[in-house]
Amino acid sequence: MKETQNSIGAYLKAHWKTVLFLVVLLIGIGLADNFVDSYLRRLLNLCAIYVIVSLSMNLVNGFTGQFSLGQAGFMAIGAYTVAVFTVPIESRAAIFYLEPMAPFLANIQLPFIVALILGGLAAVVVAFFIGSPCLRLRGDYLAIATLGFSEIIRIVFTNTQSITNGALGIKSIPTISSLWWTYGTALLIIIATVLLINSTYGRAFKAIREDEIAAEAMGVGLFKTKMTSFLIGAFFAGIGGGLFAALLGTVDPKQFYFTLTYNFLLIIVLGGMGSISGTVIASFVVTLGQEALRFLDEPMAFGLDLPIFRPGLRMVVFSFLLMVIVLFYRKGLMGTNELTWDFIAQKYHAIKQKLSRKKASTEGGGQQ
Amino acid sequence: MKKTLSVLLSLALVVTMAAGCSGGTTTSSEDSDVIKIGVFQPLTGANAAGGELEVEGVELANQLRPEVLGKKVELVIADNKSDKAEATTAAARLIEKDKVVAILGSWGSSLSIAAGDVVKTNQIPAVALSATNPQVTAGNDYYFRVCFLDPFQGTVMANYASKKLNAKKVAIIQEVSNDYSVGLAKFFTDSFVKLTGDPNAIVATGNYNTGDQDFNGILTNIKAANPDVIFAPGNFTESALIIKQARALGITAPFIGGDTWETNEFITVGGADVEGAVMSTFFDDTNPLTEAGKTFVAEYKKAYPDRANIAAVTALGYDGYMMTLDAIERAGSADPVAIRDALAETKDFEGATGMITIDANGDATKNEAIIKTVKDGKFTYLDSVTVD
Repeated sequence: MKETQNSIGAYLKAHWKTVLFLVVLLIGIGLADNFVDSYLRRLLNLCAIYVIVSLSMNLVNGFTGQFSLGQAGFMAIGAYTVAVFTVPIESRAAIFYLEPMAPFLANIQLPFIVALILGGLAAVVVAFFIGSPCLRLRGDYLAIATLGFSEIIRIVFTNTQSITNGALGIKSIPTISSLWWTYGTALLIIIATVLLINSTYGRAFKAIREDEIAAEAMGVGLFKTKMTSFLIGAFFAGIGGGLFAALLGTVDPKQFYFTLTYNFLLIIVLGGMGSISGTVIASFVVTLGQEALRFLDEPMAFGLDLPIFRPGLRMVVFSFLLMVIVLFYRKGLMGTNELTWDFIAQKYHAIKQKLSRKKASTEGGGQQ
Repeated sequence: MKKTLSVLLSLALVVTMAAGCSGGTTTSSEDSDVIKIGVFQPLTGANAAGGELEVEGVELANQLRPEVLGKKVELVIADNKSDKAEATTAAARLIEKDKVVAILGSWGSSLSIAAGDVVKTNQIPAVALSATNPQVTAGNDYYFRVCFLDPFQGTVMANYASKKLNAKKVAIIQEVSNDYSVGLAKFFTDSFVKLTGDPNAIVATGNYNTGDQDFNGILTNIKAANPDVIFAPGNFTESALIIKQARALGITAPFIGGDTWETNEFITVGGADVEGAVMSTFFDDTNPLTEAGKTFVAEYKKAYPDRANIAAVTALGYDGYMMTLDAIERAGSADPVAIRDALAETKDFEGATGMITIDANGDATKNEAIIKTVKDGKFTYLDSVTVD
């Protein structure tokens, strides 16, 4: 393994499929960016943002085994940082019409990328203060504390009228419509997560997930390792929130109810707790699936007017599909597996074998 | 495995069948003698009740006037799940997939604001029906509205409190997590201070959050300040609870509020304690302001004979549709930009909720509001207030 990595050529030779896939993916994004209509573009952007936030949640919940429910709060911090620092100064007076913006902020405008990273860092700082007491404990305390925290953040943002404009929210945030922002960030974050999971830290995360006492006995610093995972997760969620604000062009506290967190919990459970590729797949399935089922909300031209085809039906069908998946794939679509070339080849052979066996048995049955 | 397969297969069958059918409807309606108008509303989620009422108004108007420029008007209704992200995709979908020429909605200012950017970049005119936040139309040439704004409603109630109730000192209880309530409270304060000339006319302010149950802390402070009137714009359930608890504490000052109170839940929660509560609203079915209003009431009663009263937002839905059709007719074409220009020039359009003239911001200038009160467990017309 070490020898192959010595030269780039050898590396490419060993991983040509992955490199080819990445090149195809980048070309695909480039094409989509130029030719896709604004509706599909919006959906694809949303998918990428959901990938980012779900991955951040899976890092803590799936890989480190710490049940954290603070994603909506971290997203809110990222989103508001981007909102406050990127809204054009000339339109601020019109937005903050109830109470003018605090003077120390009123004249600061930052480039989007700076505000985005600042949002991620702000989420990290806040995560540090929640994590310090809670991550020392075992059990469900983290879930309760992070859930409480995300509500607190929302209420704080509702009441700091001169900074966040309170319940009125902020609009006119310069929007991003190019797919490169969201997909570029999502790709970077996926790569970072893969590298992290396969590093010493990643192994320590998994050790803690499997058995805290055993991990500690093996010399893993519990608190420090959990904190690392929690802070990285918060950073990614903050970035995801910032992109979310820039995609919608507006933020208000009601967007960040704790129910938002459950969207991501749904995605990681569906994709598989502890699977990066599962999370990516599930993000696309959930986001696109809800839109694809939209036709169920419309009255149907069946000749007869069926009263069940009314707004809300798609949610019923969507929930039903989820139940089916959870019933038959108890560990989510991917379990803890990753979608690697080996995995695909293995599945392919398994299916092939099964088919040939079936064929043999039916042929055998025919002869009798 | 067999079981899984059979379940999945049957599901796939159902889905493709349904998809095939829906595909059929969209292709059949893509011919050019149909004008499509999108209605985007929260039909599921927290605001579903409001969205439903507006859709009723739009559909009623569509039945009454199904054609413009000799073409059939088709409504495309999209649910935005009371969710901002969903609101932007729903609006984008109406524009890109359904090729609508104009959009009506949505209930809830924040949902309309979220869609604002989409309609602006795609140059499709949108008409907000009951979104009262000034930010919906501010800085957006493609968003219009048929209702009055928070500032106007705040001013109306300040006038009412000062002139009709002769109040000198007012206490305000606002729902801080609700943009509508905060806006109303602010404009009420500004206007009331100006009317009385007393900078200390607001003697106490209390804040609460959506979903709160116990208001005794706020009310004890207010009781100590002894106001003549209490202005408490906000969600109907919480407002009814506030009034109940205030009466239990022995506060006798009258309560006044905004149009959100006008729901049956307000009376069922508040019971006898909300008797005499006063609110401003857009529309009164027993006393329509215009001829169009009378037609609307008659048609609504025909279509929904079992409803006790007509919600103001339903009337606004009706007006939004009628105003858009009027604009299409004046534009003489179904080109979205031409419709936008025609909408911007709307002048003295006779709607069910009053005469509508669109100003430079895209807002309806209305100078008349209805004042209602609760009497014998029913919302009753009390007065109408004109503000210049």
